[in-house]
Amino acid sequence: MALLSENDRQAVRGYLANLTHRVTLLFFTQTIAGPETAQIAKQILNELAGLSDKITIEEVNFILERDRAATYGVDKIPAIVVMKDGGDTRMRFFGAPSGYEFMSLIEAIIIAGGDDSGLKPESKELIAGVTKPIDLQVFVTPT
Amino acid sequence: MAFESPNIRAACVEATEFMDLTRKYRVTGVPKTIVNGTGEILGAVPEDAFVRSVVTAGPDA
Repeated sequence: MALLSENDRQAVRGYLANLTHRVTLLFFTQTIAGPETAQIAKQILNELAGLSDKITIEEVNFILERDRAATYGVDKIPAIVVMKDGGDTRMRFFGAPSGYEFMSLIEAIIIAGGDDSGLKPESKELIAGVTKPIDLQVFVTPT
Repeated sequence: MAFESPNIRAACVEATEFMDLTRKYRVTGVPKTIVNGTGEILGAVPEDAFVRSVVTAGPDA
């Protein structure tokens, strides 16, 4: 049973129609004894990948590839790292991307698949002045 | 913001799946943004205010 309705699939296909770059979603998960949400995340990602030929899902075993997880700052699963043309966009999603998080993931894919963050020039100027690392964690809920 | 700067990393965290973090950061309403483990921005704030808050809560401020 698909998680996305046919209407949703059409809508999402529309949103993803203008991607110009390859977006890879690195999906960190655990296949044995992992959290239930990992299964949901996997299903959502697979359905998503089916809606655009620019999107690929690469599944990474969190237990077997600890070093790789550490490189991306992944310390909990399920986790999605959004890559653009093989490079890290520094956007992450922790937890199954359902509800609110799903639309945020779509938006992240659209940003990654294009060339503009969509932020205002004033914002970009402020951000350009950032020279030390900033780590943002945005807590959300599925409803 | 993460897309714009190599110094910024942004994660969306599902609060109900990671209760230890939700408790650690005292997340009682969403969205709640934690900056470098200490700064907090509550709610869905407009872009100007959000960017300014993040940059001023960050280590360059």
